[in-house]
Amino acid sequence: MPRDADRILTTHVGSLVRPPKIVEYVDAMERGLAVDQAAFDELLQQSIDEVVRRQQQAGIDIVSDGEFGKFRSWNFYVLARLGGIEERAIVESQGGSRDRQLFPEFYAEYFPTQKLPKRGTVYTVGPVKYTGQAALKKDIDIFKKSLKGVDVEGFLPVVAPASAVPMFKNEYYKNEEEAIFAVAEALREEYKTIVDSGLYVQIDDAFLPYVYDLSFGSADLEGFRKWAQVRVDALNHALQGIPEEKVRYHICWGSFNTPHVGDVPLRDIVDLVTQVKAGAYCIEMGNPRHEHEWRVWETAKLPAGRKLVPGVISHSTNVVEHPELVAERLVRLAKIVGRENVLGGTDCGFAQSPHVRRVHPSIQWAKLEALAEGARIASRELWGRKAA
Amino acid sequence: MRRSDDRILTTHVGSIIRTPELRKLAAAAKDNPGDIQKFNDAVRTATNDVVKRQLAAGVDVVNDGEYGKSSWANYVLERMSGFEHRPDKIYEAAWLGSDRVRFREFMEAEFPRGVKGSPGDACVAPVQYTGHDAVRRNIRDLKAALAANKAQEGFLTAVAPASTGYDAENEFYGTEREYIFAIADALREEYLEIHNAGLVLQVDDAVLANMYDHLMQQSPARYREWAELRVDALNHALRGIPEDNIRYHICFGSWHVPHVSDAPLEAIVDLMLKVKAGAYSIEAANVRHEHEWRVWEKVKFPKDKILVPGVVTHHTTTVEHPQLVAERIVRFARILGRENVIAGTDCGFAQTEGLQRVHPQVMWAKLESLAEGARLASQELWGKKAA
Repeated sequence: MPRDADRILTTHVGSLVRPPKIVEYVDAMERGLAVDQAAFDELLQQSIDEVVRRQQQAGIDIVSDGEFGKFRSWNFYVLARLGGIEERAIVESQGGSRDRQLFPEFYAEYFPTQKLPKRGTVYTVGPVKYTGQAALKKDIDIFKKSLKGVDVEGFLPVVAPASAVPMFKNEYYKNEEEAIFAVAEALREEYKTIVDSGLYVQIDDAFLPYVYDLSFGSADLEGFRKWAQVRVDALNHALQGIPEEKVRYHICWGSFNTPHVGDVPLRDIVDLVTQVKAGAYCIEMGNPRHEHEWRVWETAKLPAGRKLVPGVISHSTNVVEHPELVAERLVRLAKIVGRENVLGGTDCGFAQSPHVRRVHPSIQWAKLEALAEGARIASRELWGRKAA
Repeated sequence: MRRSDDRILTTHVGSIIRTPELRKLAAAAKDNPGDIQKFNDAVRTATNDVVKRQLAAGVDVVNDGEYGKSSWANYVLERMSGFEHRPDKIYEAAWLGSDRVRFREFMEAEFPRGVKGSPGDACVAPVQYTGHDAVRRNIRDLKAALAANKAQEGFLTAVAPASTGYDAENEFYGTEREYIFAIADALREEYLEIHNAGLVLQVDDAVLANMYDHLMQQSPARYREWAELRVDALNHALRGIPEDNIRYHICFGSWHVPHVSDAPLEAIVDLMLKVKAGAYSIEAANVRHEHEWRVWEKVKFPKDKILVPGVVTHHTTTVEHPQLVAERIVRFARILGRENVIAGTDCGFAQTEGLQRVHPQVMWAKLESLAEGARLASQELWGKKAA
């Protein structure tokens, strides 16, 4: 991450609400209709040009491509880029399990409204290989072209092994561990290619915390930690040789606007998170289930040279964060881990799939502007008046 | 009014989501006056249930969920003479301020009333309070429920002059002052009924804050003049009722909108404190107003009064972590004194009988989290011995 700033830099988690025209194309492609691929590519370039400029105008220092080029969702886009797997028994998405048990009537009402992409169970059926070179090259080329002449840096979000195949079944490898390492090995190509292109890579891993609520729960924290440890090890395997400072790691507890009572406490997983060989950790801290967890950093150790990107604005409410609140959230964390180790970020993306929109786009932009304004206020407080 | 003498007490702003049965009966009673008795009977039973449920959730100072009223503010137009409904006239949603301009596209999609306006009422004859039977029924239902469930204290909400007829206009009185004071005189009768029954009176006044942005655009003096008249009228209506039996609630509107044009608390806090109440209930749990706890570092809070900050909010489905609730309570208590803080909510959960700001299961989880957070805060503020 950039090291020499004398102010709090801003970024976000990655996905932004797609322009309606892109959604139309995605919709057509998903329904198997023929589309004019060249026209779509042109639209994609224009839209990403525009969203890069818009982020810069909002005051974001390290911007994304909005994930406009990704299909299905923030994680399952990758299934089309992997060989040796099969997805079977595709069904409607379901929400978290313990939370669902606590709030069954709420879930029954909420989930059908969410337009979530259908998903199936992934089986490893042969040697897992990365086959997404062309799609990845297109993402990188478009984004780099959009970044030319704009005074920002770029990060490209991609998926972590745990979240690429969260609930998979192994039919090929000796055991599950071997299979997940094979997935990691394949994803390594995606990570390395992005960093080699000069962009930051952000590795998204919402399922790492989320599987606690889905499959384990507080009664089996140890079982969950074992499950997670294998995945963290696999991710570190994939990151071998990639410079840490070019890597960001994002965890969250699922972006659904649900009660989140079943979420695993950060303190129970923070040691796993900081094992990941990444220069920055993007973690939710802008919603009322996780806001208090800034105190975790009073005792947890942030490894030297690594940074925190706390969510200081959230997709979980339409109300736009007051810049003074954003500043307060940044300052209290900076006072613990050092002002040079904090960037202002978001809880999660604003559009985890092309069809999802967590808040109206005008609210998304107002929130990103509040983030930038709050970071300016925090910088003045932390560096004195001279901060930009 | 009970105080947080040896632990942080809990309460909320008032409206609780109605049961599906109650909604159905309310609709039926509107269509057919013969069904009113059936509705009133159901309200009595439901009031008992909702008091029991609040106590079970850990709420100390409870109410009737506003089950016996159609809404937090406009219910009072059913209890006053002098107003005539104007179904064909559209009243601009001035109370939304410039959010409705800046976020027009969002409003059109998700809150059309914000840009289209809605029908309202006109005052065409002398305003007189006619709701004695209705408020007495509310009082009777709540008091019966408090006794049956051994609740120590109950509050009943009533609307303030500034918030009465927010989509209404005066065509009868010669001056704005006469109109507002006539409303205040009518409301006084409701306030007295509640007070004389031995209940804590909560006066709800969202509109005092809501009109800030719209009137400030005319001029700061215009807002001040508008608000001061209404605060004076409220104090006129409250005269003689001991402050210690009154809570005053202001908020910035419960709509799930950006709230970028909300009044800063700092700009209106002096108006709020002018109201002769013993407790003030304000928003402090949503992301537009959470930072305003710092206002109390600068503004002197009157001695012996109580602040009821919102420490859980209707603005997000995510349930507040009890540790966050405790953190919020403790920082208020450190500034104001622990005995001067009661933990509350930002606003109600159902401002009209058909509305739900979050799913009812989520609402109850939030109230339980409020109580759990207050327990954690009490342990921190009084040491382990706190209940």
